[in-house]
Amino acid sequence: MSVTQDDVLRIARLAELEVDEEGLPALVEHMSRILDYVAQLSAVTASESLRPFVPGPDAIRFRPDEENPWPLAVGPDKFAPAFKNGFFVVPKLGQFEEPEAS
Amino acid sequence: MSDAKAIADRLVKVKRLNALLTPVKELRKSLAEQAAAARPTGVLYGMPVAVKDNICTIDFTTTCGSKILEGYRSPYDATVITKLKAAGALIAGKTNCDEFAMGSSTEHSAYGRSIHPIDKTRVPGGSSGGSAALVAAGAVPAALGSETGGSVRQPASFCGVVGIKPTYGRVSRYGLVAFGSSLDQVGALGRSVHDAARVLSVISGRDPKDTTCEDRDPLRLPTVPESLQGFVIGLPREYFPPDLDPAVRRACDRAVRLMKEQGAAVREVSLPHTQYAVPTYYVIAPAEASSNLARFDGVRYGPRAEGASDVRDLYRRTRGEGFGAEVRRRILVGTYVLSAGYYDAYYRRAQQMRALIAQDFRNAFDRGVDLLFTPTTPTPAFKAGEKLNDPVAMYLSDIFTVTANLAGLPAISVPIGRVKGLPVGGQFIGQAFLEDEMLEAAYALERAVPATEEA
Repeated sequence: MSVTQDDVLRIARLAELEVDEEGLPALVEHMSRILDYVAQLSAVTASESLRPFVPGPDAIRFRPDEENPWPLAVGPDKFAPAFKNGFFVVPKLGQFEEPEAS
Repeated sequence: MSDAKAIADRLVKVKRLNALLTPVKELRKSLAEQAAAARPTGVLYGMPVAVKDNICTIDFTTTCGSKILEGYRSPYDATVITKLKAAGALIAGKTNCDEFAMGSSTEHSAYGRSIHPIDKTRVPGGSSGGSAALVAAGAVPAALGSETGGSVRQPASFCGVVGIKPTYGRVSRYGLVAFGSSLDQVGALGRSVHDAARVLSVISGRDPKDTTCEDRDPLRLPTVPESLQGFVIGLPREYFPPDLDPAVRRACDRAVRLMKEQGAAVREVSLPHTQYAVPTYYVIAPAEASSNLARFDGVRYGPRAEGASDVRDLYRRTRGEGFGAEVRRRILVGTYVLSAGYYDAYYRRAQQMRALIAQDFRNAFDRGVDLLFTPTTPTPAFKAGEKLNDPVAMYLSDIFTVTANLAGLPAISVPIGRVKGLPVGGQFIGQAFLEDEMLEAAYALERAVPATEEA
């Protein structure tokens, strides 16, 4: 096995992904199979001076630095869960409230 | 001008394929509205085009075949959709796909697997399996798919239709939900080379909203050539290994013979790093996916998990519940290969290998070859469930397609025969931005080959 259960749990924490106990053994097995397979790349010697291949335009074209209306085809009132007087209505976040003075 | 009701009826008729995700009532209403508003002078006026569900549309939800985007409606159209509408096409609903385009069978969709239109026990390929199945069943003449490692060409080959992957940068990706940003391209599927090429021509060309889209005019459609006189076609020996399915080899041999009869010069070439293409792809694509899919956390898009204790718990639960098995695997592999201590061994090495694979193609084209011809897939459509428990076996079904994505080259799959009734595809890989040349050869092959006959 290339990875252990602890490895997978550590990576899952980095990826902000909950992994259930029940599915963990299969996940470890599949990840190990994939990592063992891609490890064949290490058998190839490549020149350190080899430049990475990046497709696409040679230089990034920058857009003009100007403020434009957001290109929405419909207004935010059409797709926001709640919208009032030009504002998105969001739930109050309780954890940021000041504790009441005792 | 096709009648909107007739288009919807054709799509409803093939509901058994589970290829269309859009509810029938919504589809009928939208098609009627679109037909009334369509521009009569457009080059695709009245043509229904089904769209893979990872391309953003205002008119329909965009779920990417995932629970994590269930019910999500984009507030804008992707550029390819805007261009199709401007050309008078009708968006004929959203098609089923592997979740976030990760898969080769359309079995990794949260909305159930799609069915092969000829043999219901088999898969239509993936990840654009829904698009390919609808075109093959005759429900629409063309559809959009997306390609990261062969997701248009492989299902096109399995279903017996034409699938085109354009050069990286030929088509705007604005509004295509990102999976592997250095690989992703929108592609076209059609009943014929002409149908797929017409759609590609309309969606191609510059887009100021996508900086990876080249500043070029839309693709001009070539005329159907009289012959293949003057074409030099290379056969890469690594794509015809001794263990290639004998029937697939027979179909390719017949296609090569027919191309020679039309005047093409055919010669063997070598792309020596081909064997490393799939492992290279399965490092780079998951690495990019792990970054791109970080945005799906229950805060901005789609439903969120209930009962979270804090915001990190919300992220983890939403992602754990919302993503399916294959997406979870790829996010974890991608995070692993990018993590400290493993980056050099996996990711850096894969980037070097990608450069060598791209160099292989340049070398072949520099030696006077115009196009490469290969099988699209090593076998015809496989049985549903056959590869679900072995991710590497599933990945290997893309062995002949991933190289064009890694090198950013255009490629097309054309039906070249049947094996026990199942379609087989042949693939041309062209030089960057020379889609017109590739399409000429595809027109000629399509005209010559008896695509529905046993090879």
